[in-house]
Amino acid sequence: MDTTTEGSEQGRRRDPDHPEQRRRPSGEPPALPHELGRSGKFFLLLVLYFIIVISAFLVFPSLESVFERWDHTRQQWITDLRTPGLTRVMLVVNGMTSSWTIRVIRWSVLLALIVFRRWRHLFVFLGAIIVTEIVAYNASTIIARPRPLGIPILTGWQGYSMPSRPMAGLAVSAVGAMYTLIVAGHARSIAKWAIGVVLVLVGFARLYLGVDHATDIVMGAVFGVAVAVASFRLFVPNDLFPVSYKRGKAAHLDIGGRRGEAIITAIRDQLGLSVLDVKPVGLEGSGGSTPLRIKVEATHDEPERYVFAKLYAKSHVRADRWYKLGRTILYGALEDEKPFQSVRRFVEYEDYTLRLMHELGIAVPRPYGIVEITPEREYMIVMEFFEGAVEIGDAEIDDGVIDQGLGLVRKMWDEGLAHRDVKPANLMVRDGELKVIDVFFVQIRPSPWRQAVDLANMMLVLALRSDAERVYAHALTYFSEDEIAEAFAAARGVASPTQLRNNLKQDGRDLLAAFRRMAPEREEVSIQRWSVRRVLLTVGVLLVAWLALGLVVSNWNAFA
Amino acid sequence: MRWRGRLGRVAAAVVALSALASCSARAGDATEANCPIEDGELFVLMAQSVPSATLIPCIESLPAGWSYGGSDVSNTVARFWLNSDRGGLHAVEVSLEASCRITGSVDVTNSTSEGGVRVYLNEFDLHPFSANKYFVFPGGCVTYRYRFGPEAEATLALEADEAVTFGLRTVLVAQVQDELGLTLCGAGAPPCVGGE
Repeated sequence: MDTTTEGSEQGRRRDPDHPEQRRRPSGEPPALPHELGRSGKFFLLLVLYFIIVISAFLVFPSLESVFERWDHTRQQWITDLRTPGLTRVMLVVNGMTSSWTIRVIRWSVLLALIVFRRWRHLFVFLGAIIVTEIVAYNASTIIARPRPLGIPILTGWQGYSMPSRPMAGLAVSAVGAMYTLIVAGHARSIAKWAIGVVLVLVGFARLYLGVDHATDIVMGAVFGVAVAVASFRLFVPNDLFPVSYKRGKAAHLDIGGRRGEAIITAIRDQLGLSVLDVKPVGLEGSGGSTPLRIKVEATHDEPERYVFAKLYAKSHVRADRWYKLGRTILYGALEDEKPFQSVRRFVEYEDYTLRLMHELGIAVPRPYGIVEITPEREYMIVMEFFEGAVEIGDAEIDDGVIDQGLGLVRKMWDEGLAHRDVKPANLMVRDGELKVIDVFFVQIRPSPWRQAVDLANMMLVLALRSDAERVYAHALTYFSEDEIAEAFAAARGVASPTQLRNNLKQDGRDLLAAFRRMAPEREEVSIQRWSVRRVLLTVGVLLVAWLALGLVVSNWNAFA
Repeated sequence: MRWRGRLGRVAAAVVALSALASCSARAGDATEANCPIEDGELFVLMAQSVPSATLIPCIESLPAGWSYGGSDVSNTVARFWLNSDRGGLHAVEVSLEASCRITGSVDVTNSTSEGGVRVYLNEFDLHPFSANKYFVFPGGCVTYRYRFGPEAEATLALEADEAVTFGLRTVLVAQVQDELGLTLCGAGAPPCVGGE
């Protein structure tokens, strides 16, 4: 039976080059299903418990006495165990929730974060603590539940009992310390268990001492943990802001374990390629995605080879949102872009720009398509890997490469495109051919300023490995003198990518000035553009910062 | 006890309160200290704070220009305070403790004093007005701490005196027993077990 016949029997014509490709039928889980772990399920159960308790009180007010007695009975089981010796032990254990212990934890974490210059973690830690303290306090005054009745209270307390503020304070501080100081992986898993054990022990001690009800303790601990987990996962996700004590950047998704298997399965099912090996590559130059070099088996049409893939998760969309907010505030209308709303749109855009440029004959990697790892959460964009290519900064630059670079910008100008990230790391040379990678920032119908900046950056990159005069002479073949003058009037400071600015500094020659001298005089193009949106955003951010500062100051007693 | 009746407002109120930068962990409920004591959760907490106290202070009615400031209750002391448009913020603080230091104070107990309450006064000053007034009774002591602003008249203290009164702890004990079937440990209640 030949391939076509076999495919027809199954209701479709299989691509003979990719026989393993298959559609995921309805009901079959995706490559990496989004599932809550055991701890997540447990946590959800606790949240459900509180929703039920609160709802029950609203619907049946007479339940209060039933609930109080139920809580009291549970507590009596514990207080019946009271002995002088055990009480001494429990008082020591309860010392974990003393204001001094919690202050020591908080200040130690703050000092460590200052030493390691982990500012973002520091601000999130501060914020999580303040939110926990304010919300727990206000919730306790509104709920206004007295301390346990019917039993002597054996230790000190402050204010109403539900939720337990010391438990919330300890939980948010301990979990915050874990997320800011302990490297993700085995060590963090151990820390999670250790914190869990400590919280259970301290909760038991407080129940034994009669200072909180069981419900107060659980509610306080759950709330503290929830605020910490939500804050750190939302604002400093590990795949973007990892805790690391090694040099270099490692802001990337873990590609081992279930995700690693899912990548292999998804590429096989969706692209029909058999994966032999997956390795992270070029992590230092990439903050917005997890770049991978994937070795695939030979197919009918191509030999065994490498493909390049970029793995995107929701955290990357959030990071892009913050990035765009920052750029809008700093540079105004020139960077006034709408953020992506989902990771699917994120990869769809890059796939589109890649296909567009490939179709236009620009030397970008050949696109293979998008691979879904977890619907709406993780996607991968797969493309050709330029094997044997070197970064332009390490390559020999001859007239041919210079012409290709300038021709590339001309082509983009003519097609109404801007790359917006022209820098040595995104320009590769293989056998005298210039290739462009990373087209995520490509913009269709960009501002003339953006296009002009592309030209200036390309000329600077080319001049780094040659000289300004030579590049300028070649540029006159593709651009008018006025266009070149506009490019260098537009390219000021932050308009150039950081890597290019650093390379220019290291080079020592003032290439920018050299180009400006050769080009006709032109007034500098201001990179600042003011709009109502920019003003409102700036005012909004300043207001939030002011409020945050006010919160820190007015709640300083949480630390001092 | 109606603490469960307030649970429904928690979510919305917490979000709203948390959004306010000016809110700090010291804000208070404007009505929580109003008499009678059997209607407020604050008084159960105050009774737990000083289990030996047979009387508990509460606000009978606030005169014009006075407002409730907030409360702070711990296992050693329970207090609430009043603000005045003339006397300033925190013009009067009312605190309940198991005992007070009355050394050097003047006994100003009058003949109409009830329930064995003795009244003392010290740290008296007219410009600006400041004074400490102690109400000593079996098992406890309530202090009125007057600290008025420089422009305030001393007669303002009379308004504050009229605003604050006392409730019997036994009433609260009975209320808790009736509603919840549980004992509010301390004075006026049967002994609580489990204290090793």
